[in-house]
This record gives sequence, structure tokens and C-alpha cells, in this order.
Amino acid sequence: MTNMPHNALIEQLPHRRMEAWKWTDVRGAAVSEPQGLSAACNPTIAAPSGIDISTEGVAPSESVMGKLAVTFAHNATVITVPAGFKSDAPVLLSDMKSGHARLIFKIGKGAEISVTETHESGAASFVNIDMRFDLAQGAKLSRTIFHNDCADMTRISTAQINAWADAEITQHTLSFGGGLTRFETRIASLGENLKAEIHGAYLLNDKRHCDMTSYIDLGAQSAHIRQSVKGVVAGKARGVFQGKFHVRSPAQFTDAEMRHDAMMLSDTCQIRAKPELEIYADDVACAHGNTVGALDESALFYMRQRGIPLRQARALLTEAFVAEAFDGMADNSDFMSRITDWLEQNS
Amino acid sequence: MIKIKNLTATVNDGQQTILNGLSLEVPAGEVHAIMGPNGAGKSTLSYVLTGKDGYDVTDGSVDYLGQDLLAMEPEERASAGLFLSFQYPLEIPGVPTMHFLRTALNAQRKSRGEDIMAAPEFLKKARAIAADLKIKPDMLKRPLNVGFSGGEKKRMEIFQMMMLEPKFIIMDETDSGLDVDALRIVADGVNALRAPDRGMLIITHYQRLLDYIVPDRVHVLSDGKIVASGDADFAKLLEKEGYDKYAA
Ligand SMILES: Nc1ncnc2c1ncn2[C@@H]1O[C@H](COP(=O)(O)OP(=O)(O)O)[C@@H](O)[C@H]1O
Ligand SMILES: [Mg+2]
Repeated sequence: MTNMPHNALIEQLPHRRMEAWKWTDVRGAAVSEPQGLSAACNPTIAAPSGIDISTEGVAPSESVMGKLAVTFAHNATVITVPAGFKSDAPVLLSDMKSGHARLIFKIGKGAEISVTETHESGAASFVNIDMRFDLAQGAKLSRTIFHNDCADMTRISTAQINAWADAEITQHTLSFGGGLTRFETRIASLGENLKAEIHGAYLLNDKRHCDMTSYIDLGAQSAHIRQSVKGVVAGKARGVFQGKFHVRSPAQFTDAEMRHDAMMLSDTCQIRAKPELEIYADDVACAHGNTVGALDESALFYMRQRGIPLRQARALLTEAFVAEAFDGMADNSDFMSRITDWLEQNS
Repeated sequence: MIKIKNLTATVNDGQQTILNGLSLEVPAGEVHAIMGPNGAGKSTLSYVLTGKDGYDVTDGSVDYLGQDLLAMEPEERASAGLFLSFQYPLEIPGVPTMHFLRTALNAQRKSRGEDIMAAPEFLKKARAIAADLKIKPDMLKRPLNVGFSGGEKKRMEIFQMMMLEPKFIIMDETDSGLDVDALRIVADGVNALRAPDRGMLIITHYQRLLDYIVPDRVHVLSDGKIVASGDADFAKLLEKEGYDKYAA
């Protein structure tokens, strides 16, 4: 553990005057020095046999939170998936309740791996999970991320995914938020034919906050990207979506679509969205869309006329809206039943 | 069965009166038709009876099977057997037709203190009714009304009506958008529901539908009230002469 004076530590945290953090003020949330702010976190990792787990002193990532993770977690846990690996069993990642952790997945040529992450804490704390995934040629990664924190939790989770040629990434995130929480996904294509499906939903009540930020940096040709994020926000909660496609000049024939659609269930909730395209290649098809709305009153009346009580009608419409984000999952039953439960409580 | 007395409804904070002292009584077992020019207030009557937001009832009363209809929530009215076949049925994205309807049916049953209908029984009934109405089974798997043609939506309203077996049925221009074949199929469905304990109010612009569903009474609605009434033959006269002489 490093003994850093509290003020110096707070000074290092990203804050709202930084463009990338303007809606997620980590410094503001950490002034009362939450538990875990200067501690290491040791997640529980369960992996199918054939996967190697070791601890190494690898170079830190460049990001503010990445540097901070090195200060308190020191070494990284490295999960090595050998070339050609295949398994029906996922790597399970849990117990990320307090402190800083560094996790690196090295996924070999043609390997296929699922990673199921549970980010959950019932007690107030500060968590910073810094992850990196290196995908060798033709590797396939499927991430399933479940997030549900108590209302005074601060959690930042960052994943940098580096993909060599012919890699495939599938990611489904379901977040019920926390005090101040952010899931950031950064993808860099280093070889051609990247396929990525990046989908997620946040459902937030009370004063919860969830930020879904992504930066997809395309440096090679023929990438196919589909991203959709659904938001449902109630009470005084705040949902944040920041998405960027950065299409560099070699990334010809990129086909990329980004959507963020959010629903406001109260007058006091907030949605902040910033979808961005930055394109330097000329032969590409890129699109982004962003909508914020409320439930359709006429549809609700129609449902009530058929005998469906108002609350149930609201839940049914909202569930259908959110479900689209998880249509492509091999098995979305766990996510859907959690969503149904949440909607029963919050519609 | 339903007794509407001096019903008066306004919109825009009372600036516009749409129903203007409307009185009408439909006894159990009878089918009444309401005809009238565009903008007369026909759809508004159907919305006020079913409890849609946005209308202020400033005067009058509606007695439905001994209950004060206007004091009930829309879903309570539905559970008490009131059904509206919408002039413009809504699209319900992402909710498969069968799931929607089973949810509705069981919500009504629950609120009446009845047992819910199990899936196999529900499916069997739905398949039989869909076949009668010439609705293709794959349509029932699609989200309700999404991407359906005008005629398909109208047929889906009748499908829902036959599944829910309501006690009092309001049909708002169900005939518009239907070709003659579809009209006959829909009319057969409606006629099959005619029963001594069931009432119907059929709103239509054209006399055509009334050749298939012969009403007991025909009323003219103009400027927010009933201005004339007659028997089934009165509809033919109205079609020939138009509504001009009833205009305010
Ligand atoms: N919510 C509303 N706000 C303002 N005007 C309305 C509203 N609903 C209906 N109206 C008006 O009331 C009149 C009657 O409408 P409607 O009941 O739809 O007539 P009909 O079904 O007989 O053609 C029309 O002039 C219509 O424009
Ligand atoms: Mg009308």
C-alpha cells in the first residue's frame, strides 16, 4: 500500500472539468475518502481448465484511472487463454467490491472465450477495475457484464480491448447503477475484419448514476461494428452515454452503427448523451442515432382499455424497449428476469 | 345496460365543448348504431366512455350495469366488460400479440377474482378464433399491430374482442379499411357475439356495415348530441339523404 496524502490522491482523480469526465465527477464523489480509495482489490477468478492465471508487473495503461490502479494494485493478474482454446464454460469474475485491480486477458490465436463479470457491492466503497484484453488473430471474446451497486458506491471499470485481424468481440452489459459508476469500453482495431457487437442497458432509480462510455478506434479496414445502448431512468437518477467511433484513414470499408435510446420515467431524472463520429477514411458507412423519450401515452391507454393495469402496461412497454439490447445474446434469460423484477419495483 | 344522460365533455380547459348534452340508452341484448358527419364527436364519445385522459366531463352521468362508469379507471372499465374496437388501433412495439392478449385476459380475470387461463387453453381458443377470422398464425407472434395494414389492424381488434368476450362492445369505424370479404368475416364474428346479456354500440360513417350487422336502433350524432333516432331502415334513409338537415 502506498501512503499518499489524501489531498494528493484526490487531486489525481478525474473531475468534471475534464471533457471525458464532465458528467461523471469522480473527484467530487471521493472527497469524503471512501473505503477502498487507497487499497488493492483481489477479484475472485474462476476459469475453466487450460487457462493460466499469474501475476505480473506489466506496464500500466495510459489512462488516469489505469495509473491509479498501478499505484495501489501494483502487479496485474494475467489470464492467458492459449491459442485455439475453446470451452463452453466462461471465466467468472466477481468480488470486485472495494479497491483497485488490474486484470489482463491474453487471448491466443483463434481462441474463443466468454467472460462473465459481476460488479456488485452492497456496501459503500470505491472500486477501480482496470482491464485489458489482447485478442490475437481470429480470437473471439464474449463479455457479459452485470452491474448492481448500492446507492453510495463509486465504481469505475475500464476495459481496453486490442484486437488483431479477424477478431470478434461481443459485449452485453446490464447495469442498475450505483452512486457514481462508469463502465468504459475502449476498442482498438490493429488488424482488418474486426467484428464487434457492443450492447447494453442501464436501468436507474433513486439518485443512481451510470455512465456508459465507449471509444472505438479503428485503424484497419473492413471493421463491422454494431452498438446499441438502451437507457431507462427514474426518480432523480442520471444516465450518461458517451460513444465515439474514430475511423482512421486506413480503416476503409468500415461499417459501423451506434445507437443510444433512452426513456425517462420521471420529470426529475436526467439523461446526458454524446454520440460522436470522427472519420478520416472516405469509403465507409457510419451512422449514429440518439433518442430520449417517454412512454407513449396512447399506447398505454390502449393497453389499459384491454384491462392491463397502468403499472403493468408501463412495465411491459419498457421491458420490450430494453429487451432489444439483449436480442442477440445466446441466453438472455438471466438478464431479462432481472429486468422484469426491476420494472415490477419501479414502473 | 348502459345509460348515458346529458353527457358533456370539453377539451383545452373547457374552451372547446365536444360532447354537448348527449343522452343515449342501450339495453342488454341490443345493437345500436351511431352515424354522423366527420367531427360530430363519435370517437370522443367512445374515448370518454372508456376513460381516456384529456377530456373533462363537465356534466352528465353514465350508468353501466348499475355502476358509475365515469368514476372507474380505464382498466377497471375493461375488466367490467367494456371493450372498444379503436378507429385507429395503436402499435405496441416489442410485445408479441399473443403475449399482450394473454396478459390482458388474465389481468381482467384476476381483477374479477377469476382463475387465470392456462397457456394451452388460451392457445387453443386463439387458434380457433384466428382461423375463423382468417388471421395467419404467424401474425399472432409479431408485435401487436406493428407493421400491420389498416385492414389487418381492424381484424386484430375483432380477434381481441372475441378472445376477451366483453359484455359491452363499442366499435369505432371498424368497417373503414376493410374490403367486402373482410367485412363479411368481421360481421360474422360480431354477430356470433350477439347475446341477450350483451350490448353493442356500432359507430359508422357508412350504412354498408349495417347490412351485415343489423342494428335494433340507429342514432344520428351531430354537434355532440343525439339529434335523431330510428330503426334499421333509418340508416338507409340517412345514407341517401345525408346528414345536412341534422347539422346545427
Ligand atoms: N383532444 C382534442 N383536442 C382538441 N380537439 C379535439 C380533441 N379530440 C377531438 N377534438 C375535436 O372534436 C371534434 C370531434 O372529434 P371526433 O370525436 O374525433 O369526431 P368523429 O369521430 O365524429 O369524426 C373534432 O372537431 C375534433 O377535431
Ligand atoms: Mg372518429
